[in-house]
Amino acid sequence: MIRTRSSALLALTLVLIAAGLLVLNIAGYLGPVEGLALRPIGAVQGWLAARVAVLRSLLTAPGDILALRQENEQLQAQLSQLEQEVIALREQAAEAEILSALLGYARSQPDSRYLAANVIGRDVSPFIRSLWIGRGSDAGLTRGMPIVTERGLVGRIAEVFATVARVQLITDPSTEVNVQFQTSRADGALRAQVNGELWVDLIDQAAEVASGELVLTSGLGGAYPPEVPVGSVLTVRQRDFELFQQAVIQPSVDFEALEIVLVITNFQPLLLEPGIP
Amino acid sequence: MGYVLGLPLITLLAILQSTVLGTFRLLDGAPDLVLLAVIGWAQTGRTREALVFALWGGLSLDLLSGAPFGMTAIGLIAIAFLVSLLEGRFWEANFLLPLGVMVGATVIYHAGLFLAAAATGRPVDLDQAVTRVFLPSAVLDVLLALPTAQLAWRIHETLFPPRVRVG
Repeated sequence: MIRTRSSALLALTLVLIAAGLLVLNIAGYLGPVEGLALRPIGAVQGWLAARVAVLRSLLTAPGDILALRQENEQLQAQLSQLEQEVIALREQAAEAEILSALLGYARSQPDSRYLAANVIGRDVSPFIRSLWIGRGSDAGLTRGMPIVTERGLVGRIAEVFATVARVQLITDPSTEVNVQFQTSRADGALRAQVNGELWVDLIDQAAEVASGELVLTSGLGGAYPPEVPVGSVLTVRQRDFELFQQAVIQPSVDFEALEIVLVITNFQPLLLEPGIP
Repeated sequence: MGYVLGLPLITLLAILQSTVLGTFRLLDGAPDLVLLAVIGWAQTGRTREALVFALWGGLSLDLLSGAPFGMTAIGLIAIAFLVSLLEGRFWEANFLLPLGVMVGATVIYHAGLFLAAAATGRPVDLDQAVTRVFLPSAVLDVLLALPTAQLAWRIHETLFPPRVRVG
């Protein structure tokens, strides 16, 4: 009984500590401490993310594994050394391939300045769709900067620390992106549903939006630069008794396979949320 | 000794949750490594350490999340305390009891995250949360509950062998 009471007292004390930290965080006093704590954690995340990327590329390319095995059989004497070399080269090649595609995209957009960043982790809460990148304010990143890949829009920076930053994805239900349909030139507001689907709402009833049409950012509101691809139209829902049409969008970016992203560093976003510098 | 090994391990589990389990999804979900570790350790009877690990693990997870800092910690402390109340009765009663406890703990844990998300104004949907978060996580956590408990007992016996009276 005494032991249970002692445990209850400890639990209560710890809950009060956590609640105190929660209040301090809401008041904005914990930013520097979080940044300090995230330095070593971000370094470990970055190291682990590189290994996970190697493992992922091995698991998703069974043909390559077979080729590697055959090669290993022929060169048994140098087995371990070759395995390590091949894995390292494979990772470098995959990285070079991604960087090459990103470079091609960056060259096609000469007005924007980009900074490449590795994806080092994802949000641990299943209710928040965001990811961590291995660059922060030390590299000049600020809150609100848009994140893209060569395929299209990823999201924007929601929190910045010294060496890492958290990117809120456009698939997060609390994100809203003003978009424009490429052919019909209709405007709309893209928002992710709780189930992960991307919907564009507020499309004028008179607009003729077609399936397969490309969806780009419109630049309205100033949160994102204009004409960044977001996805393509899967289906359109039009009902006569509603004020607007809706469209379901297939995102152009594969959010599950992101390894390297580009931060647009010379875009000045207009941030309307409170407490943003 | 428990804290020296436990705190870095709990931090590492939180990092693995973000880096590895964020990339490799199992059954469209992910096991909750820190939750498993905290419950596993609470079951060994090291209640005080389990509570501290719950605070530390929760704060580590909150660092790697956009959720309000401290919310996960509060949830984990509550779960660790509830599990500690059943201390020692797990193995004597029924081997299914720890599995039931794990289901309950997973539901409480994710319900806490769900409420935290709702309280901060994020759009959430209970049906989606149940089918896409609670259930996959509960299944994975239950699958890992017994191996985790066994591992926790092994570590406990290695670090804190039972005292034997000689003579």
